Amino acid sequence: MTARVALAVALAVGAIAPRPVRAAAPEPLPARLAGRGGELFASVDLSAVFAPSLERQLGNGLTNVVAVWVAIVPEGGGEAVALYGRVVEILFDVWEETYTVVVKDARAPGGARTVLRDFAALRRFLSDERDLDMGLVSELPSGRFVVEARVEVNPVSKEQLQRTREYIANPPATGRPGGSGGSRSFLGAVASFLLREPDPGTGVHRLRSRPFARAEVAAR
Amino acid sequence: MSARLAGAARRAAGALRFSRFELKIALALVIAATLPLLGALLLAGRVAEENLSLGLDPRVVQRLEGIPSLYGDLFQARKQLYAEQARALARGLPRNRSAANAYLASSLERTPRLRRVTWFGRDGRIIAEAETETPNPEGEWREAPARVALPRGGRLECVFAIEARFFAEVNEARELAELVQGVDVLRSEIRRSYVRAFGVLLVAWAAGAAAVGIWLARRTTRRLSALLLAVRRLAAGDLNVQVDPGRGTDEVAGLARAFNAMVREVRESRDRIVYLEKISGWQEVARRLAHEIKNPLTPMKLAFQQLEARWKTSPARASDAGFEQLLGDAGEIVREEIGTLQRLVDEFSGFAKLPEVRPEPADLGEFADEFLRTSPQIREAADVELVRASGACPVALDKALMRRVLANLASNAVEAARPGRASVHLGVSRTRDRAVLTVSDEGPGVDRALRARIFDPYFTTKGSGTGLGLAIVKKIVLQHGGEIEAGERPGGGASFTIALPLRATGPDAPGAPAPR
Repeated sequence: MTARVALAVALAVGAIAPRPVRAAAPEPLPARLAGRGGELFASVDLSAVFAPSLERQLGNGLTNVVAVWVAIVPEGGGEAVALYGRVVEILFDVWEETYTVVVKDARAPGGARTVLRDFAALRRFLSDERDLDMGLVSELPSGRFVVEARVEVNPVSKEQLQRTREYIANPPATGRPGGSGGSRSFLGAVASFLLREPDPGTGVHRLRSRPFARAEVAAR
Repeated sequence: MSARLAGAARRAAGALRFSRFELKIALALVIAATLPLLGALLLAGRVAEENLSLGLDPRVVQRLEGIPSLYGDLFQARKQLYAEQARALARGLPRNRSAANAYLASSLERTPRLRRVTWFGRDGRIIAEAETETPNPEGEWREAPARVALPRGGRLECVFAIEARFFAEVNEARELAELVQGVDVLRSEIRRSYVRAFGVLLVAWAAGAAAVGIWLARRTTRRLSALLLAVRRLAAGDLNVQVDPGRGTDEVAGLARAFNAMVREVRESRDRIVYLEKISGWQEVARRLAHEIKNPLTPMKLAFQQLEARWKTSPARASDAGFEQLLGDAGEIVREEIGTLQRLVDEFSGFAKLPEVRPEPADLGEFADEFLRTSPQIREAADVELVRASGACPVALDKALMRRVLANLASNAVEAARPGRASVHLGVSRTRDRAVLTVSDEGPGVDRALRARIFDPYFTTKGSGTGLGLAIVKKIVLQHGGEIEAGERPGGGASFTIALPLRATGPDAPGAPAPR
């Protein structure tokens, strides 16, 4: 629970801060909320985000990253009362023709690996976010609230930022197999130190469910 | 402790207090150092963008990103090829098991990259199989299976070799493409980070230039401040002030040296004037004393002579032998004292009537030599040696007066050595702008505490002296534009050093200096 809270807090800034939105889903986010043993679980359908047209991008043989944040926020707006985040790394194996998926979230910070046999399975895996742990039912607001999902496709990850920093600080070494040798550029080193994470201008989807009342949380 | 801290704080505050001059120099250096770089800063963003555009050509990025797909196509083609070859093998598979073994073995030789082939029956048992042991001609390989269902049941499983390097290559291409993709995504940020980096370096450069500027300026202003302080002290009348010119050779160091020389000269001139004025006063006193003492001496002498003459013709002379004796003794005393007073008057007169210096061109060494040659009384009274350490020492001399200087000093040396025989050492040398004459002896020397007073008129350490000799010496030396200093001879004894200005000897040299 502590690790989950830590991850949630870490991701909250990115999730809640207003950012440019490329496309907003016209339809409400299909979402279900259920309580079990006093804990709240959310299931959302993100199939609107993961359209079949993504197959070409996600099957390009490069590592693709999908970051998903699901939050419960008061209908009128305000800070999230519950938050869940996961980062999914997808790599299409061009020999095996399968999708290797590594999911990192509070429960598995190191990543849980799954192999999916085709894009349909991958799409279902990404779209059908089931039983996301949203904390305690008792923490739900008394008023109406909505489930918000924020999906970023290929955001700049810390690893990518680090690789890029190393690249501009030492381009010859990074670009060469083995990655050694070459002289470091002083200006490049300073520039790499000053390189910041960009605003996620593209590939961001923000979805919002219909309003819920606390009484609608189904008990299982 | 708190006082020490307060002192340190004051010093730190002083170090951080910049004068306007320091700030101007620092500002000039900052501007000179950063102005060209500011232009470069404006171009930095564009240069970075152009470099990124060159390195991240969209077509190159696109092709890089497409490489894994190309390998995917290659793998597809291989798989199709291997499937087709497996099907061809299946079609030719004999029903007989023993013939099948031979067929499969020969198929390994016929079919490129086929490593193993196995015929499974309907029940999954192996009916026939063959596997090659020869190394794969294309190097390291990975298994690429191809399965064919047989029409009469069972299946044929083939294992082909696919080059392992393909997988390494696709991984490498993927990593490179992901890297380039990341750089492409971060392109704007990279450009901005380069501009920021350039800005940071520019600020560091400017700070460095400012620090160097302040350091350089402070080196100069510190000396200028010291000079300013010294000028203020000089204006307040402190003629002993000097500034440290340091080891530099720049204009400020030159100014400091010139200031020191000027102050020295002013001080020496003032001392000279003060001394000469004092001597003039004493000369006036001597003149009046001589006059006042000399006037009654003759009447006194005549009156006593008359008294003696009258007594010689007096009838009472024969009967008063005691008075005769008394008168004789008194006459002797009176004549002796009158003689002493007469000598005193003569000395006072001589001191009061010191002639003006009339210098003529001369060589100091030759003058000293001549003095010795023409002063037998000195050579008789003392062992005298002359050392001429330098060549020509052209000076302007009033030889008669300067002879008096040497005679006085030599006489002092002779008297100081009594009852022994004096040893007098004369030395002539020269410095950059002075001819130096040294007169030293091996006597008891001059007490250090008295050295400052021995040139004062009427100051003497001798029982019978008038204290005018050294005053006369100093006056004559000063009137020659020189200085005299009493000191100690190495090895013991007194030493008097006379420094006279060298006379210019060039074609444009002026004549002898005017007497001072």
